[in-house]
Amino acid sequence: MLKYILRRILMLIPVLLGVAFCVFTLLYFTPGDPARMVLGDLATDEAIKEFRDKEGLNDPFLVQFGNYVYKAVFKGDIGRSYSSKRPVMQEILTAFPYTLKLSAFAMIIAIIIGIPCGIISAIKQYSWFDTITMIFAMIGLSMPVFWLGLLLILFFAVRLRWLPSSGFSTFKAMILPSVALAAQSISMVTRMTRSSMLEVIRADYIRTARAKGQKESIVIGVHALRNALIPVVTLCGLQFGQLLSGAILTESIFAVPGVGRLMVNAIMSRDYPMVQGGVLFIAITFSIVNLLVDLLYAYIDPRIKAELK
Amino acid sequence: MKKFYSVFIALVFVLSVAGASLAAKDTLIVADQYDPTTLDPIGHNDYPTSRACSHIYDTLIFLNPDGTLRPGLAEKWEFITDKDYKMYLRKGVKFHNGDEMTAADVKFSLERANTPAGSHIHTYSQDLDNVEIIDDYTVIIHLKKVNYPFFSSLVHSWGNIVCKKVVEAAGDDYGMNPVGTGPFKFKEWAKGDHYTFERFDDYWGNKAKFKTLIVRSIPEPTNRTIELETGAVDIAYPVTTIEIARIQENSELELQRKVIPSTTYMGFNVNKAPFSDVRVRQAISALLDTVNIQRAVFRGVGQTPRSLIPEVTKYSINNELPVHVRDVEAAKKLFAEAGVDPSKIKIIIRSNERKERIDMATIIQAQLAEVGIHSEIMQQEWGAYLSDLQKKTHDVFLLGWGLSVPDPDYAVSGLLESNAGTNYTGFNDPKLDEMLAKGRSLPDGEERAKVYRDMQLYINEQCPMVYLHNDEAIAGVRKIVKGFEVDPFEVHSFRNVYFEE
Amino acid sequence: MTTTDEKIIPELVRKRRSPLFEVFLRLSKSPLAMFGLAIIFILVFCAVFAEAISPYSPIKQDLMHMFETPSSAHWLGTDEFGRDILSRLIYGARVSLQVGFIAVGIALITGGMLGAVSGYYSGWLDNCIMRVMDVLLSIPQTLLAIAIVAALGPSLMNLMIAVGISAVPTYARIVRGSVLSIRSMEFIEAARAAGSSDLRIILKHIIPNSMAPIIVQSTLGVASAILNAAGLSFIGLGIQPPNPEWGAMLSGGRQYIRDFPHMTLYPGLAIMLTILALNFLGDGLRDALDPKLKR
Repeated sequence: MLKYILRRILMLIPVLLGVAFCVFTLLYFTPGDPARMVLGDLATDEAIKEFRDKEGLNDPFLVQFGNYVYKAVFKGDIGRSYSSKRPVMQEILTAFPYTLKLSAFAMIIAIIIGIPCGIISAIKQYSWFDTITMIFAMIGLSMPVFWLGLLLILFFAVRLRWLPSSGFSTFKAMILPSVALAAQSISMVTRMTRSSMLEVIRADYIRTARAKGQKESIVIGVHALRNALIPVVTLCGLQFGQLLSGAILTESIFAVPGVGRLMVNAIMSRDYPMVQGGVLFIAITFSIVNLLVDLLYAYIDPRIKAELK
Repeated sequence: MKKFYSVFIALVFVLSVAGASLAAKDTLIVADQYDPTTLDPIGHNDYPTSRACSHIYDTLIFLNPDGTLRPGLAEKWEFITDKDYKMYLRKGVKFHNGDEMTAADVKFSLERANTPAGSHIHTYSQDLDNVEIIDDYTVIIHLKKVNYPFFSSLVHSWGNIVCKKVVEAAGDDYGMNPVGTGPFKFKEWAKGDHYTFERFDDYWGNKAKFKTLIVRSIPEPTNRTIELETGAVDIAYPVTTIEIARIQENSELELQRKVIPSTTYMGFNVNKAPFSDVRVRQAISALLDTVNIQRAVFRGVGQTPRSLIPEVTKYSINNELPVHVRDVEAAKKLFAEAGVDPSKIKIIIRSNERKERIDMATIIQAQLAEVGIHSEIMQQEWGAYLSDLQKKTHDVFLLGWGLSVPDPDYAVSGLLESNAGTNYTGFNDPKLDEMLAKGRSLPDGEERAKVYRDMQLYINEQCPMVYLHNDEAIAGVRKIVKGFEVDPFEVHSFRNVYFEE
Repeated sequence: MTTTDEKIIPELVRKRRSPLFEVFLRLSKSPLAMFGLAIIFILVFCAVFAEAISPYSPIKQDLMHMFETPSSAHWLGTDEFGRDILSRLIYGARVSLQVGFIAVGIALITGGMLGAVSGYYSGWLDNCIMRVMDVLLSIPQTLLAIAIVAALGPSLMNLMIAVGISAVPTYARIVRGSVLSIRSMEFIEAARAAGSSDLRIILKHIIPNSMAPIIVQSTLGVASAILNAAGLSFIGLGIQPPNPEWGAMLSGGRQYIRDFPHMTLYPGLAIMLTILALNFLGDGLRDALDPKLKR
C-alpha cells in the first residue's frame, strides 16, 4: 500500500513539471507586457526596462523556465505577486480557505440531498418520485452556475432579503454561493446513486438475501447500500476536486475571495508569478484529492485492496 | 426536492435568528468597488487604494472641497523661490507605532517616490529634486524646474508621509503592514473581501468619532446597493446610473453626487491615416451625436464635456463653449475636402471591458455606419489593451482620464504632451507643448488663465479626441450616518463621520 | 466540467443488422430523448434560418425603445440599446451551436487521434501521450480555457479553440480506453493476420467500433462546450460586441437584474434548455447504443 502511495506521489512530479511548462508557455505568448501592468501606464521607459531586467523577463524562454523551476524546487520560492508584492504562496494560502469552505459546503449539500434522493429513486423506480427527481437532476445538471447564481440572488437576496448577495465572511453569506455551486454535484450524486443502486439491487447476492427472508429494509440498508455507495464515493471525491478547482464562476458572481477569483484577477492583470503559482497549486490539490479518492476506493472495495498488495 | 426545501428553510431560519443580534453603533461599514492593491501609498495609482491610504496616512497639505488648500502635517509653508518650498512641520505628530514624525520621515517619503518603487506615480514626483532637512521640523522641497502644479499634487496619495524606520525594516512586505499618522490604524486585511482599520487614539487632529472602520469590496453595483438597503453597509460607492432611483426612493437612504474632473474620450491615433488629417478627425467628431450617446449610456449622470479641462477644474471654459451637435452634412463636406471616401474607411474601435465604454462604442459603431464607415469593436482586457495602445498601431480607442490633483495642467499634459507616457493619441505638437510649459511656469492669475483658455480652444480645433463623458462621484449613504461628504476627487474621507442616535 | 457520470462500457462487439435504424428505434421510445432531439432541431433551424425568422436585426439599435418588457412588438422585450432580445437569442443560437460543435470537433479529432494512436501502439508513445493528457487534465477546464483565451485574445475562433483544447484529454482517454478493449478482439487479430496496415485497422475497424461511447460523449461534450463558452463570455472573455451571444447577453443584463429581469431570464433559459436537450439526447443515446444498460 505504502509503495503504491509513494509511486503515485512520484508520478506527480513529471505531471507538475508539465503543468509548469504549459503555463509558462501560455504566459510567454500572452500579449501584454507584465512590466507595464505592474508599474502602471504612467511608468517611464527606464522603470519598465529596470523591472524587466530585475524580473528576468528579457531572458530567453528556457532560461526563465529553468530559473523558475530551480527556485521552486530548491528554495521553495515561487516568487512574489507583481501587484501586491506579497509572496505568491501567502496569497494563495489566504484565498484557499474560502475556496475550501465553499467546496466543502457544496459537497455536504450534494451528499445530504443527492444520496437519499438517489436511493429512493432506485427503490421506487418508475414512480412519480423517480421521474420528478430524474427530471430535476437533469435540470440541475444543465443549469449554468452563473445563471442559477443570479436567480438565487434575485430571489433570496433581492426579493426576500433573507440572505446577503455577496461576501463570504458570515455563515449566512456562504449559503447562496454554496447552493449555487452544489447544484451540479447534487444532480450527479443523485443520478450516480440511483444507477449504482439499480445495478446492485438486481445482483445475485441481493436476490439471495431476499430469498433467505431478510427484511427488505435490511436488504436495502445493509447489503445493497454498502456496495452501491462505492462508485458514489469515488464520484464525490472527484467532484470535490472539481469544485475546489472549478469554483471560478461562482466565486466571481458572489464576490468570494477564493483561489478562483484570485486566478482570474491574476490572469487579467498579467501577474505572472501569481498565475504560475496558482495553477501549480490547483494542479497539486487536484492530484492529491484524486489520490485520496483512489486510496479511499481501495479501502472500501476489498477487491481493489487485494490488487494493490 | 421536497427534502431540499425543508432542509434549506430550516437552515435559513436558524441562521437569521443567530444573526439578529445588534450592538451599539461604533463600527462604520463601507462598500467599495474593489480591494486596494497595496497599502503602500506610492505602490499604486488607483482609487480604492488611494481611499484606503487616505485613512491611514496624512499628507503635508490637505485639500478643501472647494479646491483650496489647508495645512496638514505641515502647519504652514512659504515659497522661497518658484521652485523651493519651505515647509514647517507640525510638532508632536505620532505614527501608529508611537514614534514621532520628523523631517527625516518627510524627506524619505517624498524622495522614495522617485525610486523604482514609485513608478506608478512618477508623473507627479518627477520634477522633485530633493528634500533638504533644515531641522527636525523644517524641510525645503527643491524642484528641478519651475512647476506650479507640483505643489497641489502633494495632496495626492503619493504625498502621504510614511515612517522611515518601519518601511526600511519591512522591505517588500510593507504594503501589508502599513504605519502612518492618519486617524485610523491598520488592523487586518482579508484580501479580496474587506479590510478593518481602528481609530488611532493618539491622532494629532480631530479623532475619529467611531471605533472601527470596515471597508468591504463588492464589485457588483447591484450587490452594493442591496447591501446598503438591507443595512449591511452604511455607505456604498460608486453608485451606477441604474441604482440611483432606487436609492433616492428609499426613505432610509440619501444619495450624494458631485461632478468630478474625470473625462472619458475616444482618441484617434493621429499618426495613422486617415486620422492624420485633421479634417477626418473633425468629420468623425461631427458624425457622432455625443450628447445623446452620453444620455443613452449614462441616463442623467454626468454630462458631455465640451473641453478637455473639466468644468470643475480651474480655468475651464467648458461652459462657455457651444454644445456639440451632430452634423452629418458638415461631416460629409469635411470628408470630401480631405479627399476621403467614408465608405472605404475600416476602423477598429478598441476598449477595455468596462460596460459603459463598450456601450458607448456600440452606439458609435452604429452612428459611423450611417455614412458607410465600417467599424469593429475590439474589447480587450486591461493588460492586453494597454500594451496594444503602447504599440501605437491602433485606430481609435476609448479611455478615461481622471484628475487627482486640482490643476488644469494634469488634465492636458498626461494626454497630449508629446513625451507623456499616457499619450495614446500620439499627438505631437510643439505649439501645445510650449503652451503647457508656459502654463506650468506661471503662478495663478489672469495670465495663466489666458494660457489655458487658448490651449483649450486650440485642442478643440485640432480634435485629437472626441469627448464622451464627464463623470460624477455618487455615493449612497444611510441617513443615520452624518458628516459624510462625497469627495470631488473620489478619495472619500470618514474623518468627520458619526452616527445619529 | 464534465457531464458524464456513469460508466461507458463499449459493448459493440457483434455486428448489428441495421445499426442506425435500430438505434433510432430504441431512441424513439424515450420521450425525454425525443424532447431533446426536437429542441435541438428547433435550435438548428433557428441558427440556419436566423435571417428569415428573426423579427428584427440582432444589432439594430433603437435608443427610443430601451429596456422594454415583453410586448407584442418585442416578444421578449428589448435590451439596453433597444435591440430585440428574441432576435438576439435566435442569432445567438447560431453562435452557441457553432461554438459547441466546432469546439467538440476540435477536441474530438485531436483527442480521438491521440487516443487511438495511444491505445493502439501502447509502449512509450502511449506513455508519452497519456502523460501529456494527465498534465492537461490536472488543470481545470475552465481555468485552462481562460488562460488560452487570455493568451490568444478574445474572438469567436479563439473561444472555440480554447474550449476545444481544454476538452481534448477527455476524448483521448475515452478513445484510448475503447481502443484498448477492442484491440485484443479476434476480428482485429484476424485483420492483422490478413495483412491490413495499422492505419487501415485503426480507420476501418477500431474507430467505427469504438463509436458508441464517442457519440455519447460528444453529445454531452457539445453541452459542456456551450456552457463553458457561455461562462467565458460571462466573465468578458468571449465573443466581441455587438455580436449576440447568450452568455454575454446574460452578463450584460446582470446589472439591470432588479429592474429588468427579462434581460437575464431569457438568455439563461436559452442556455439551460439547450444544455438540457443535449443532455437528454445524450442519455437517450447511451441507452439506445448500449442495449445491456437498457432498463
